[in-house]
Amino acid sequence: MDAAATLPLLLGLAWLAPLVSFVAILFYGPRMGPHGRNAATVATAAIVTSLVLSLLAAGVWLGNHPVTAAVAHGGGDHGATGIPGADSPGGQGPGHGGEGHAVGEHASGGHGAPVPPSYSGDWYTLYEAGGLTLSIGWWIDALTVMMFVVVTLIATCIHVYASGYMHDELHDVTDHEVHLADGSHLHRPGRFPRFFQALSLFCFSMLGIVIAGNLAMVFIFWELVGICSWFLIGFYYERQSASNAANKAFIVNRVGDFGMLIGLMALWGALGTLHFGDRTVVDASGAPVARPGLFSLVRPASTGHALEVPAGMVEFAAADEVAAVVRTTAAQGGGADPGAVAATVASRVDDWRARGLGRWLLFIAGVGIFCGCVGKSAQFPLFVWLPDAMEGPTPVSALVHSATMVAAGVYLVGRFYPVLTPDVLYVIAWIGAITLFIAATIALVANDIKRVLAYSTVSQLGYMMLALGVGGWAAGLFHLVTHAFFKSLLFLCSGSVIHACHTNDMRKMGGLAKVMPWTAGTMLVGCLAIIGAGIPFVIGTSGYYSKDAILAQALAFANANPGRGWLFGAVAGGAFLTAFYMFRLWFMTFAGEPRDHHIAEHAHESPPVMVRPLVVLAVLAVVAGWTLPGGFGLANLIEQARPAGTGGMEQGGFLFSGLVVPPEHESHEGAVHVTATLTAFATAAAGVLLAAVMYLWGWVSPHVVAGALRPAYEFLAHRWYFDELYHAIFVAPVLAVSALVSGADRGIIDRIIDGLAWSARCLAGFDAWIDKWVVDGLVNATADVTWNAGLELKKFQTGRLRQYVTFIALGTVALFVLLSFLYRSTFAG
Amino acid sequence: MNLGSLLTSSLSDTLQVSLPLFRPELCLAATVVLLLVCRMLPVVRWLDSAWIALGGAVFAAAYAWADLRGLPGSPWLPAATALNRHELFTGLLVFDPFTAYIRLLLAGFLLLYIPFTKISGIPGREEETDFHVLLLGAVLGMCLMASANHMLTVFMAVEMASVPSYALAGFLKGRKASSEAALKYAVYGAGAAGIMLYGISLLVGVLGSFHLPTMAARLSTVLAAGSTGGVTTALVLGGLMLAVGLAFKLSAVPFHFWCPDVFEGAAAEVGAFLSVASKAAAVALAVRLGCTLTAPPLADPAQLAGLADARFYGAHLVGLLAALSCTLGNLAAYGQTNIKRMLAYSTIAHAGYLMMGVAAAIALGGTDRAASRDAVAAVAFYLGAYLFMNLAAFAIVALLRNTLRSEEIAAYGGLIQSSPGVVVAMGLVLVSLIGLPPLAGFTAKFLVFASVAQAIALGVEKPLMIVLLAVGGLNTVFSLVYYLRVLGVMIFNPPPADRVNEPLPLVSLPGAFVTGLVAPVVVLGVFFAGLYACAQFAGGFAS
Repeated sequence: MDAAATLPLLLGLAWLAPLVSFVAILFYGPRMGPHGRNAATVATAAIVTSLVLSLLAAGVWLGNHPVTAAVAHGGGDHGATGIPGADSPGGQGPGHGGEGHAVGEHASGGHGAPVPPSYSGDWYTLYEAGGLTLSIGWWIDALTVMMFVVVTLIATCIHVYASGYMHDELHDVTDHEVHLADGSHLHRPGRFPRFFQALSLFCFSMLGIVIAGNLAMVFIFWELVGICSWFLIGFYYERQSASNAANKAFIVNRVGDFGMLIGLMALWGALGTLHFGDRTVVDASGAPVARPGLFSLVRPASTGHALEVPAGMVEFAAADEVAAVVRTTAAQGGGADPGAVAATVASRVDDWRARGLGRWLLFIAGVGIFCGCVGKSAQFPLFVWLPDAMEGPTPVSALVHSATMVAAGVYLVGRFYPVLTPDVLYVIAWIGAITLFIAATIALVANDIKRVLAYSTVSQLGYMMLALGVGGWAAGLFHLVTHAFFKSLLFLCSGSVIHACHTNDMRKMGGLAKVMPWTAGTMLVGCLAIIGAGIPFVIGTSGYYSKDAILAQALAFANANPGRGWLFGAVAGGAFLTAFYMFRLWFMTFAGEPRDHHIAEHAHESPPVMVRPLVVLAVLAVVAGWTLPGGFGLANLIEQARPAGTGGMEQGGFLFSGLVVPPEHESHEGAVHVTATLTAFATAAAGVLLAAVMYLWGWVSPHVVAGALRPAYEFLAHRWYFDELYHAIFVAPVLAVSALVSGADRGIIDRIIDGLAWSARCLAGFDAWIDKWVVDGLVNATADVTWNAGLELKKFQTGRLRQYVTFIALGTVALFVLLSFLYRSTFAG
Repeated sequence: MNLGSLLTSSLSDTLQVSLPLFRPELCLAATVVLLLVCRMLPVVRWLDSAWIALGGAVFAAAYAWADLRGLPGSPWLPAATALNRHELFTGLLVFDPFTAYIRLLLAGFLLLYIPFTKISGIPGREEETDFHVLLLGAVLGMCLMASANHMLTVFMAVEMASVPSYALAGFLKGRKASSEAALKYAVYGAGAAGIMLYGISLLVGVLGSFHLPTMAARLSTVLAAGSTGGVTTALVLGGLMLAVGLAFKLSAVPFHFWCPDVFEGAAAEVGAFLSVASKAAAVALAVRLGCTLTAPPLADPAQLAGLADARFYGAHLVGLLAALSCTLGNLAAYGQTNIKRMLAYSTIAHAGYLMMGVAAAIALGGTDRAASRDAVAAVAFYLGAYLFMNLAAFAIVALLRNTLRSEEIAAYGGLIQSSPGVVVAMGLVLVSLIGLPPLAGFTAKFLVFASVAQAIALGVEKPLMIVLLAVGGLNTVFSLVYYLRVLGVMIFNPPPADRVNEPLPLVSLPGAFVTGLVAPVVVLGVFFAGLYACAQFAGGFAS
């Protein structure tokens, strides 16, 4: 099959299926069966269609680009190295409305830079002006195909689960968390179709980010994801906390998006394109012109795909020098010839680049794009929205936290990786390390089951960012996928528990393993996966492979940069904390004796429609990391998409001198890998052990520990006072300013308007008074006089008329007097 | 020149020049005769007089249309080489683009108005012929008002238009209020006519001519010669009294007292006639007199310079009346509970806006003929837009009266539920009367204010024009309140208990008629270029 033609078609349809469902439910939702019950069927059918199409696309992909044991390091067999990327048919591929590009020719072997197979093109051009093209297009490589399968698979599970979880919404709902003014609870109609409508739009938006062929399209769907999260987190919008959380998520994300816009502008302003892939456009004379995409501009084939500051950015930064060239050329009499100027400038670009011009721009572009990812992927300092996002229904939390929203940020960093300089990567590593540590510490003391998971998500996202930042491109994305499986599993399990207990508070749980064996079992699998449990060097859960890869890469980075070894410490410490808080959660919930007998008696296993997705996800959480004999596995599939030129060592950095980003395959070298695996195992085991000591066997009371470390405990329980801090430095001033402005509006502007209205009323009143007392008064006086004289109605009428006619004469005289008084000059004679 | 040659030249002038350009008026006159004859002959008594009247109106409109189209320089023909000006009947009337435009407007009004009365059912079958005779007779008088070129014609035309109006006001013979309205109107009109006649005699006495351009020429010499006290006072007083007569027709403050009483007492159909046709003719006459006496066509610069004082006086007189009418009309409309009475005050206010344009046209006449032309064009456009929006307003009131049996604003409560279409239609009309975009009323008001602003920009009578612009703007704000109040009642108030099912469905003959009237209000707000081109052509009558 011709992959260049079929892949865009299959994935395009997979992307649009949820949109169809969204539109259908939007218009016909309430009419879909009783209370819109069939909306769930429609949405699930759409996402299953997407899943099937994605799997078909994966089949087509694998048929054209078989996955072999490539530069593997996450897989079970650590021996295989260095088999470069696969073949692909080059040349043009037909597309809808735009031309397609397919690349992937073999780079000549050795340690050169293999070019990964990829396809790009445009379906539809929204807008074209000068160099700017805004289009709806695609960029398809192994990563895209894999993300499609992962997103649609998890979304399918969540759709099925949600059709059971949300059944309360099928009839009128009494929301016990909303107290009305009269003390009663809010009673509202169910919103079942609305939920699935937003869910479909959410999936559509996420798939749009994944398939996007240019940054402008990414941005469009990025914002769509934002608005969907606002709908879903605020699903119970009558609850103050839910509507606050939705607003918080939305606003915090806008902060990050501001940075992203700066990055977009830096790229577009200097390079004139936002497309990832190369394009061929037709110029005015009909001749085809090659337009290199962002990736080729930053890592051109001429340098062997090594990173260099693109000529556009160099010239942008060297504005003074370019002006000097123009002046010189003009002085030499060649001013009218733009060609001569362009030639001179082009000849001197290398010179300017060597002087470091333009590298700041590339740095800003990278950091700017990363800012958007910081918001979406809940990194420090913008992570505060994610725990609050738990206010949404649990299936939404599962979706937001695993395969969609937060994954978008990591995915974009991975997608954009070739453009990121070592300096940017180091910033990313820093942010990732800080995030993972802060979030893990907060998770230690949280008592709300969903909040523990939320902070664990933030922490794991920090892991991914850190991995990407230290050069572990494949490791970070691998962890993204495995985490998607086990985190959605964990959330759905927690949803099952909440469904049974009607509370989020773990202090009221305990001993639930007996009544909810399926939930307890699958959740245990999830916990084991997230801490990376496995038998060292033999086999393990999916988390074992991905977390090992991250640790190994961090260790390699620490070895290469002796002064920056603390990053590895953060990773190892984080692994310990992860193990502790996850098993604290499991022990508190499922082990021991019930703490609240009332709850325990009423708890029950969830219905099959909810349990089945748990089992599917549990299986996936175990096996997702495995590599089959022959080399087929996720790790190798990701490796197949490795951007050209990013496999080698990256050196230098103009901000952080001596920075070295080690090549990823180095972390599979024996010594590094053994150390990493053993560290991971030891820290995880220690964490589980400590959790067992405190919460399973009760040898050490958690209360005693908390009491002994009271200040630290308080600090963590208040989440490092981040919310308070942000409130004090951002929210409070804004509220103060807005209060001031609204006060001015009320006190000054409204006063003026009220005053105007008042004076108009006064004038009208005055006029009415004149009418009533002077005009009518005269008339009435006449009437009274005539009435008193005993005259009849007829004479009364005559009286009025006479009055009127008198006014003609009076009016004429008055006008005359007025005119002669005002304009004496006219009557000068 | 002996009597024979005089007769011959007079005959040829009448037959070859005057009568061909007098065809619309002839059509109307012939229709009046035909209506009366039909009523007397038993054979054709069964004929519905509305159709006869409509037929006459169609002919009149067709001729008026042909006359306007056929003038050189009209939007359909190349520019004229000489001024389009033909004096008819030895100078009694004048035919020029302005005459043609106003005549077409009046004939077009008849085309809409006769079906309207047929649909609304007033007059009844018995009085129909009388009604149409009076109607056509009044419109004939109004056509003469628009083309008057002689003081005698001015007075005759005003009376010719007024006397049938008195009778129309009293047309609902059974109702006391109607008869009372007619009586007030007639007596008030007689008083105003007396004053006007006095003013005319003063002017003619000083200037020694009835012919308007000749009067202007004499006025120029009299003023340039340095006036002696008595003469100037006579001129000033004469002009003022002439203005009083016009102000009565325009229902301008302080000569408006008849207006609310008559509108409330007479049928809404008569209100529509008085507020649209009668007002258009009065404004046309004001433009005609104002422009011809202060900046006559084909005047040489010396003559124009001599008339500076006259323009100053005329602009201030009209401007003062405009500001008073606008403000008092709008403010007095606030407390009204009867929709017809409210609309009466609304027409007073709109007369004020129109007179602002007239004041600007007079003031600009000596300085910038093109700007003066645009000011007249603004007024002419305003009349065109006003024709549709005010007729639509009265049509809705009349048609609602037929089912609701009430003309109180309170009776319109909750119409949005039973008859949403008519609320939308009324909403569009009222918003257009306020003058908000994108409706015809906005374009019209904008043009008038623009010509006042143009006068300010050119530095002509600056203080007066600034005051007028401020008064106009402020009044637009004032007017929001009472127009929107009607809409508010229709939408927010609960319906009265005895509300019939759907008072005025849009899918019905009356509904279709209202839609047809409202559509131009919307269309002219956006596609105003065609009408404005005609209006500009009409405005160029003096330049």
